[in-house]
Amino acid sequence: MLRASVVERFAIAVAATLLALFLGSVVVAAAGYDAVEFVSSLAYGAFGSSSNVAFTLRQSTMLVLAGVAVAVAFRAGVFNIGVQGQFVVGGFATAVTVLFLAPMLPEGAVGGVLLVGLGTLAAILSGGAYAALPGLMKAYADANEVITTIMLNFIASGVVFFLVDRYLRPAGASAPNTETFPEYVSLPSVVFDSPSFSVVGLGVALATVLVVYVVMARTGFGYDLVTSGHQEPAAAYSGVDPKRNVVATMTFSGMVAGLAGAMFTVMILGYYSDPSTFPRFGFDAIAVSLLAANNPLGVVPAGILFGGLDAGGQYIGFTLDVPPELVDGVVGLVVLFVATPELFRMAARRTGLGGDSR
Amino acid sequence: MSVADYAARNRLRIGAGAVALVALALLAALFDLPVADLLTVGTAERALRAATPIALAAIGGLYAEKSGVFNIGLEGFMIFGALTAAAGAWISAGSESVGQADLWLGIVVAVAVCTLLTLLFAVLTIRYEADQIVAGLAVWFVGLGFGPFTATVLWGGVSSPTLPNIDNVTVPVLAEIPVVGPILFDASPLVLFTVLLAVAAWVVLYRTKWGYWVQAAGENPEALDTAGVDVNRVRYAAVVFSGALAGLGGAVLAIGIGSGFTGTGVTMVDGRGWIAIVAYLFGNYNPLGAFGASLLFGATDMLQVQFQTVGISLPGSIVGLFPYVAVLVVLNLVGYTRVPSAVGEPYDTEE
Repeated sequence: MLRASVVERFAIAVAATLLALFLGSVVVAAAGYDAVEFVSSLAYGAFGSSSNVAFTLRQSTMLVLAGVAVAVAFRAGVFNIGVQGQFVVGGFATAVTVLFLAPMLPEGAVGGVLLVGLGTLAAILSGGAYAALPGLMKAYADANEVITTIMLNFIASGVVFFLVDRYLRPAGASAPNTETFPEYVSLPSVVFDSPSFSVVGLGVALATVLVVYVVMARTGFGYDLVTSGHQEPAAAYSGVDPKRNVVATMTFSGMVAGLAGAMFTVMILGYYSDPSTFPRFGFDAIAVSLLAANNPLGVVPAGILFGGLDAGGQYIGFTLDVPPELVDGVVGLVVLFVATPELFRMAARRTGLGGDSR
Repeated sequence: MSVADYAARNRLRIGAGAVALVALALLAALFDLPVADLLTVGTAERALRAATPIALAAIGGLYAEKSGVFNIGLEGFMIFGALTAAAGAWISAGSESVGQADLWLGIVVAVAVCTLLTLLFAVLTIRYEADQIVAGLAVWFVGLGFGPFTATVLWGGVSSPTLPNIDNVTVPVLAEIPVVGPILFDASPLVLFTVLLAVAAWVVLYRTKWGYWVQAAGENPEALDTAGVDVNRVRYAAVVFSGALAGLGGAVLAIGIGSGFTGTGVTMVDGRGWIAIVAYLFGNYNPLGAFGASLLFGATDMLQVQFQTVGISLPGSIVGLFPYVAVLVVLNLVGYTRVPSAVGEPYDTEE
């Protein structure tokens, strides 16, 4: 999508992040806060203590999963801005499955494994199905997927809120939350003693990255997907149906987004709630994927970087009274700069760092 | 393009609209809906007010895309417009209560700030050839972050305190006309302005030299260049115009018809910038068509109120989704229309 070599991409990613952080600090200083304290607290909040590291890895797990979902589609030349919606729908499917099946299955470890497994399966299927919708709309009605996926985000959030609020809220409860899952429906805590992070979750995310990478790089399906993203005429000439390919791409991307929803529900929440209050992992994932040049393997370091930013930002939110929304703005700036490789090529030429290979 | 031409070229679109109207009428008959109570002067007035911010952003976005730059950041610029309008009015009022003059100053501030921000966006997309879709999304994310951030710095929370609305103006004599009078001539001056702007935008685009430049910059930039007009300068003007109007749309949302800036969730702009893009696509890049489509979305936006007044009980959270569903239906009916051929391509003079 953006013309650049691997080394150039890496340099641009680093420069974009640093520039965005610098601008963020300028805004912090302009708003009357201490910028040095801001940056040092950001670092401390991300890596300063064992529980902070656990929080960073928790956010990274979500961002890696959602980032891979975005990357799959972007690689194939389709903009899936709807990862947030597919993530919400997937998580909801997990919650419904767990709450509905829990009374029928044995309690304890066996039931827990079964429930987590079935809940995750439900999330993958429903996330894929929800993403297939904009794929079908793009393929057969020529509807711009950027706009349809954003509309479907709003719709997913509204409908899931309605269902949770109307049908799944326990009688007498004031908040629009479902019942809490049984104790045994959770991921085991290994290494970190955190109620909302498990190394198993991170492992699932990394395994997903590997699976996606292998599918994209080593299978016929992945080959068709990437060629039609880069060279649609060539792909069509070699017998790839571009319409079916768009639908398949979106479905694949949505399945990964659904898996992210399952992880969020089981590992972090342990119940389900109003989606408009959820973190916007699906949007931050766009930044993660762009920073990684839409390469599934590159999503891991990019996801960890953004996980750190996110964790540091929230730490700042409750220690410095600098509003945590600032970090969302910084993420937006990173996206803006990553979209502008020419700006950095120009800067590199001016400063004599090279970059004249255009 | 005259109205008759427009009708001739858009048979499918107009046909689809007619089919939708018939389907609605059948539904109304089937479920015995009190149609007369739903279609009142109040309905039209509310639909028009709700359509104003969408129409402003749509007309601006249309000019940008006609000139060859897809400004997909409209939603973000609307957030900045809403925030700066509320902030401008509130700061200008100081310790006193916010008056009409403060509100107008807020609107001016919003347009000025959004003009500057869009200039930056234009430099990145035109001069530095940024990917227009990604850069536009970035504008949205930046708005979602810095909007509530600035609100928290100013007001200690993600939303502003309640602000008053702009007073209605009553045009003497004209306001006495039945139906049209109370809707158009006893209304917010911003509504009136938007109607005039839609007409002016149509005249400029199809009847003046500048309008032809804008169209040529998007359709055939080489020809425009050969004719000695600076393509990128035309594009800068169109993009900055789109941002200024989106900012005005956001301002209208915050202090023309709303009661301040709300920074929770996806802010109170709540997808209207995206709906604006669909509005001008549905209007086939015609300012008057875009205005009509905005009215359609304004009306669906106000369904909640209508349903309540006539006593139809549908949960608010579901009725609130109608505009988004309408966008999907419209997009699937009209597809992506005919995009100006040079949209998304940076233009370099070959020298």
